[in-house]
Amino acid sequence: MVKEEQEESPNRPDNTAFTQQRLPAWQPILSASIVIPMFVLIGAAFIGVGVALFIASRDIQLQELDYTGDDSAHPCYKCRSSTEKCTCSMTFSIPNLFKGPVFFYYGLTNYFQNQRKYGASKDDNQLYGDLDYFKDPSSSCDPYTRDSRNIPIVPCGALANSMFNDTFSLSHVVNGTQKIVPLNGKGIAWWTDYNVKFRNPSVTPLINAFNGTKKPTNWPKPIYELDTTDVYNNGFINQDFLVWMRRAALPDFRKLYRRITHDDYVNGLPAGNYTLTIEYNYPVYSFNGRKKVVLSNVSWMGGKNDFLGIAYIVVGSMCVVMSIVMLIVYAKFKFAEDD
Amino acid sequence: VDCSTLLYSPGQLNMFFSKRTFVQCLIVSTYTSLVLFLIPWAAMQDSVRGDGKDVADYQSFAMLTQTSLMVVVSAQMFLDTHYWTAINQFFLLGSIAAYLAITFTFYSNGLFFMFTSSFPFIGSARNSLNQPNVWLTMFLTCLLCILPTVAYRFLHMLLHPTITDKVRHKAREEGQPAPAPYRPPPRRVSTRRSSYAFSHSQGYGDLVTSRKFLRLKRRPSLLLLILSNLNWCSGNFILKVATALLKGSLGKSSC
Repeated sequence: MVKEEQEESPNRPDNTAFTQQRLPAWQPILSASIVIPMFVLIGAAFIGVGVALFIASRDIQLQELDYTGDDSAHPCYKCRSSTEKCTCSMTFSIPNLFKGPVFFYYGLTNYFQNQRKYGASKDDNQLYGDLDYFKDPSSSCDPYTRDSRNIPIVPCGALANSMFNDTFSLSHVVNGTQKIVPLNGKGIAWWTDYNVKFRNPSVTPLINAFNGTKKPTNWPKPIYELDTTDVYNNGFINQDFLVWMRRAALPDFRKLYRRITHDDYVNGLPAGNYTLTIEYNYPVYSFNGRKKVVLSNVSWMGGKNDFLGIAYIVVGSMCVVMSIVMLIVYAKFKFAEDD
Repeated sequence: VDCSTLLYSPGQLNMFFSKRTFVQCLIVSTYTSLVLFLIPWAAMQDSVRGDGKDVADYQSFAMLTQTSLMVVVSAQMFLDTHYWTAINQFFLLGSIAAYLAITFTFYSNGLFFMFTSSFPFIGSARNSLNQPNVWLTMFLTCLLCILPTVAYRFLHMLLHPTITDKVRHKAREEGQPAPAPYRPPPRRVSTRRSSYAFSHSQGYGDLVTSRKFLRLKRRPSLLLLILSNLNWCSGNFILKVATALLKGSLGKSSC
């Protein structure tokens, strides 16, 4: 009698390296010879980088001028709640040479451009120049999609509608006369925004593309009149419009307005008295916001921000301290074990 | 290994999956989340690019935070994996590579032209990742999240090593056991049933002890061969030989 017995049960796993968990493996173990030197190296590197960052940030010059005008002594107080055109001017002085190239920013506080519904309220297809969306903007722009007579708004949405419209001019007091400092508005927005993300409709003249549409409610001029002198700065590719549409992450933000690159000021703004003339259009009083102008130069690490340098130094020193602690513990423990 | 049975004790004491461990995990997660937001927030306050343009915008900030998060989570996984094999390294490093590939694809021109309103982040990666302060912020965030865990684990292993730590350390010192060589499954001889038959009949006990089967004069070497090979590993073969011999001896001598 030959009893046929099953050689292998059907559920038995294969005897391969993968199924039997015998794959060649490396075991990382936190040994003292790795961890302690690692901490020392990281601590030293961080302290070095931190010092470099701190020095770079400290050398950046910054001048802030708040022109909200909520104090009755302020020159712009009269413009605070006026509805018609209002101009005010402020004087300030620069003690030392303000090294160039100097960047001119406007800043807003308590302004939440990062609010979801507000920031999503735009139509990217419209801004890309797609004429179909001129006639029929997407519903993400509600309630700024169409005006009371159901005519579509271009550019639609709350983000475009609230565009910053104060204008500034700077003049330098030289021998008693006011010498205008020329401001350069070219190249203040991202290259990808200007060349890829935003496009004007390919209709010449540009004004014809906007037949049957209306400008946003709060704008003084329609989009095709933002810069009538330069066709490369008009329409959706207007640099100020692009800078505004790149919405800020934090409620206190700065946006680049102009650069001071003219030949006379290529080395920077010389020490002296200056006058800032503001055409005050943008209302911030209702939501307790503040407006300011910031003059700054930049370095390889960007604008003036001491935090990164200090943080690197602090974390670096903590790493070094930690490595000393670990070394003491390791030495004590090891010798205790040996005994 | 002597202490291999002690490896059951962490499970019995509920050491690795208890409320205490959960609270520890919660504290670490809260700390990591706070660091992942607050460090980029503080670093991006009023900061700009090296050429004066915007870097503190919503899309760059989001990209900075999500990349830091990716790196921190991957590093935690690297730390928690105790055996780095080719497969898990492929998946871990592959995740980071896939994240970078997907990010750059989503922020590229091509997808923007195809689906304009779905990919509004175009240009964010290109414009923020060439800034040193973005990279430095990311580096600081990641290390600030990972180094406390490393330090804590190192000190814990020194001061209060758990049984698993000890065993792992010992196993590492001794080296990995050589993988069991691949032996083809032993071929079952079909005469397996013979031992069954053997065990249920009277057997040849009387015959063996009566010394009748011994052919001491003619073939002593065979007996020695059989007796010296009486181990049960090759028992079947031996039994077959023994059976054949006994049959032969039975034939030769009278029972």
